[in-house]
Amino acid sequence: MELSATSELERAIRSDVAVVANFEALVRLYRPKVFRFALASLRDLDAAETVTQDCFLRAYQASSSFRRDCSMQTWLMQIAVNLIRDHSRNRRFQFWRRARLTAKPVDVAGHGIADQGRSPETLALLKEQVAAIWEAAGRLPERQRTVFLLRFVEDMDLLEIACATGMKEGTVKTHLFRALRAVRERLGGTA
Amino acid sequence: MRRPSLKHLAPEQLSECILGQPDPWIARHLKECPACRTELEQFREALFAFRGVVRDWSENQAGAALAVHSRPTQSRSWIASHQLAFALLLAAVCVLASLVWHGGQKTPASDSLLLNQVDAQVSRTVPSSMEPLMKLVVQE
Repeated sequence: MELSATSELERAIRSDVAVVANFEALVRLYRPKVFRFALASLRDLDAAETVTQDCFLRAYQASSSFRRDCSMQTWLMQIAVNLIRDHSRNRRFQFWRRARLTAKPVDVAGHGIADQGRSPETLALLKEQVAAIWEAAGRLPERQRTVFLLRFVEDMDLLEIACATGMKEGTVKTHLFRALRAVRERLGGTA
Repeated sequence: MRRPSLKHLAPEQLSECILGQPDPWIARHLKECPACRTELEQFREALFAFRGVVRDWSENQAGAALAVHSRPTQSRSWIASHQLAFALLLAAVCVLASLVWHGGQKTPASDSLLLNQVDAQVSRTVPSSMEPLMKLVVQE
């Protein structure tokens, strides 16, 4: 139901000659997704907000040049990927990122794990695994982290990731394999 | 070429399953091997939980950001609306302080001293340099 509504709105946005007219709807629809991806990639609230705003600003400025060879969502993610890459290469940001990695990690494991009738032991183990994945994802090289998050947080398929990152599908797959291996190693056989 | 005779699946083969593109023999092996099946299910569950956690965390952070951003706006508007009152209060305090300083301390002391000096000068019948002579005259 939600998917059909989303694709309907996306179709409406696509079919409209002036994408700008539907820009507010576009922001409402995709802002949470872009923000989430930026936040998970950068792990910095201010940086994620800046990237999200820049992403929509660039999308607005370049809306006339949207070629429609991929979905609107993939196009926005493409812009976000480039902005995040630029932002993470910023020296000041790299310094703070290193500082954060050596400091106490963000406690994400406390969020969103539903009980679902699991035993306390299972739940504790799952939280531990989620924390390990979060930490492993933070230590992945930039490209591996990007494809990992696009695949396992944003639920994008290989073709969409290839379009968003500008990589070939095979390269995306290679990065995903490496990322998964690193994550499994970090899990240390608990999974 | 992969050998289906492997005892358990290698990490790469498990990754293929995670990505949803396993070879047919891997799928067959999973049906027959409970250990590999359990390992795959646990890894899938952990990745699924990770997705839920990151999404939830992101929503919370977005909410927190909105709260943080709305707070300075409120304080800014409060400051703006009370700016005039604050300026008037400051001016009143300055005026009062000035009155207290000049009216309460300096003015009476200096004025009375001056007035005494004037009185002394006015009450003199002769210039101060001739006062000793006047004493002689009175004594005689």
